[in-house]
Amino acid sequence: MFHVSFRYIFGIPPLILVLLPVASSDCDISGKDGGAYQNVLMVSIDDLVCDNMINFDSNCLNNEPNFFKKHSCDDNKEASFLNRAARKLKQFLKMNISDDFKLHLSTVSQGTLTLLNCTSKGKGRKPPSLGEAQPTKNLEENKSLKEQRKQNDLCFLKILLQKIKTCWNKILRGITEH
Amino acid sequence: MTLLSRALGMLFYLLQAVSGESGYAENGDFDDTELDDYSFSCYSQLEVDGLQHLLTCTFDDSDINSTNLELEICGALLDVYCLNFNKLQERYFLKTKKFLLIGDSKICVKLEKKNMTCRKVNIVKIVKPEAPFDVRVIYREGANDFVVTFNTSHLQKKYVKVLIHEVAYRQEKNENNWMRVNLTSTKLTLLQRKLQPNAMYEIKVRSIPYTNYFEGFWSEWSPSFHFRTPETNGTGETDPVLLTISILSFFSVALMVTLACVLWKKRIKPIIWPSLPDHKKTLEQLCKKPKKNLNVSFNPESFLDCQIHKVDGIQARDEAEGFLQDPLSLQLEESEKQRFRGGMQGPSWPSEQAGIMPKIFRGESPFRCLAGNASVCDAPGLPSSRSPNGREGGKSRPLVYQDLLLGPGTTNSSLSPLFPFQPGILTLNPVAQGQPILTSLGSSQEEAYVTMSSFYQNQ
Repeated sequence: MFHVSFRYIFGIPPLILVLLPVASSDCDISGKDGGAYQNVLMVSIDDLVCDNMINFDSNCLNNEPNFFKKHSCDDNKEASFLNRAARKLKQFLKMNISDDFKLHLSTVSQGTLTLLNCTSKGKGRKPPSLGEAQPTKNLEENKSLKEQRKQNDLCFLKILLQKIKTCWNKILRGITEH
Repeated sequence: MTLLSRALGMLFYLLQAVSGESGYAENGDFDDTELDDYSFSCYSQLEVDGLQHLLTCTFDDSDINSTNLELEICGALLDVYCLNFNKLQERYFLKTKKFLLIGDSKICVKLEKKNMTCRKVNIVKIVKPEAPFDVRVIYREGANDFVVTFNTSHLQKKYVKVLIHEVAYRQEKNENNWMRVNLTSTKLTLLQRKLQPNAMYEIKVRSIPYTNYFEGFWSEWSPSFHFRTPETNGTGETDPVLLTISILSFFSVALMVTLACVLWKKRIKPIIWPSLPDHKKTLEQLCKKPKKNLNVSFNPESFLDCQIHKVDGIQARDEAEGFLQDPLSLQLEESEKQRFRGGMQGPSWPSEQAGIMPKIFRGESPFRCLAGNASVCDAPGLPSSRSPNGREGGKSRPLVYQDLLLGPGTTNSSLSPLFPFQPGILTLNPVAQGQPILTSLGSSQEEAYVTMSSFYQNQ
């Protein structure tokens, strides 16, 4: 008898805790009329993407980063994707870019997070950084690698911004339909 | 037990001390009496210099001593948590790119690092646009209106692009009587007929945000523009050529109407509706006229203008009748044919003849002679219809000859030989005199016939 109660007391609750959905969305999208997105976020995204602030070569779209393989704007996961994408944008602030470029990046990132109003889990987790410079044997190879890396980062950034824009449109379309 | 109660008591005291701090209102309500002294108003201007925005705040109480007062804004900022205002005289302003433009911010009044009052604001809800400029008014003569145009810097901005503009205009002598028009574009048309002529007007423009997201206050008024309306409402602008043509046409129409009224009875009506001659009345008139115009005189001096040819005897009478009958009849036929060909009125044969005969005997001026005309009434048995038979016509023919002699040329020239009234007395001189007489007779007959026919036409 004591063994049965012991099993129920110390066995089942941890099991319940484990079985709770880990990927539950704690985001509450504010500004559901889309005014903040259309009048502020979209201005910065268009400045970054359409005004040729980001130049990429033709091979940019061929290599899809792993980030998008892991995270996508699926149904019921839009807020989560935007949350992760906005945090990813912050990493690009460390790049050697102009002030206006940084300003628009910050607007998109912080504005998205403000609108999502998510209670993020794993705050202590350090966000994965962009590709780090590998020690090379000579300076020329190092320089070319840096350029290549920068180009890859810009390519990734443009794709990320386009994905963010698409996901926001999906959210607002769903809100208007409901 | 005692230890436990002391611990609980201290715990509650600490809790109260921490949370019971007064003078701080999170919700921004002005509950504290000190808040009223530091109430302030703010407005924002976006993209005043590139991507830089401007936030301006002033205390509502102008008498407040703002020497040691500072303003601080926290929240809804990019990459920073708080920013301090700069002070310029009595105004606090902050020019920065770091406004997120999403969410609420908090502006606090600080006195020596201590928050005196705070207020929650949303930067996008207190937007004050820049004042419009370059107001111009152009008068369009063809359209009789005024085109008002102005410019605004928000046309090139990215955030606050859609505005409502208020155009206010007034007549300068009418103070505080402003007419106002709202529009979203930068062009306005004012009709000339709605403005006073020859008056001086003043016009100015201001703007306010017109979107669901950006809201705020009216901008400052633009610099005024002054313009004068034309003297008349378009009447002075008529084409002088058109005016001249209209005046000339009016006078010509008036002249035509006057002439039509004056000449209606004598000239126009007979042409449009010619009246058929009344034979009886015509004969009566003819009878009367010679009497009126009869001027009998036995004074030889009155016959000086007449050529008097002595007639020898009756024998010449038949010869003259026979000689004159053929050419005369031919001439009459020809004249009649010409008349028929001309499509003259009076197609009937008797009416023409009736028209001819009275005309021939009519005592008009071409037939007059100072010595007195032959009286038609004295001629017996005027024929009603002419016939080629010279015998019947011959009786009246001498009279005809007399009147025919008195052709249209007789008024200014010497008269042809005057035949006596009685046919029996008619004698002719020898051929030498006869031929010229006959030729003159023939020409005078032609002239007489022509004159009579034309006289009939002119009737």
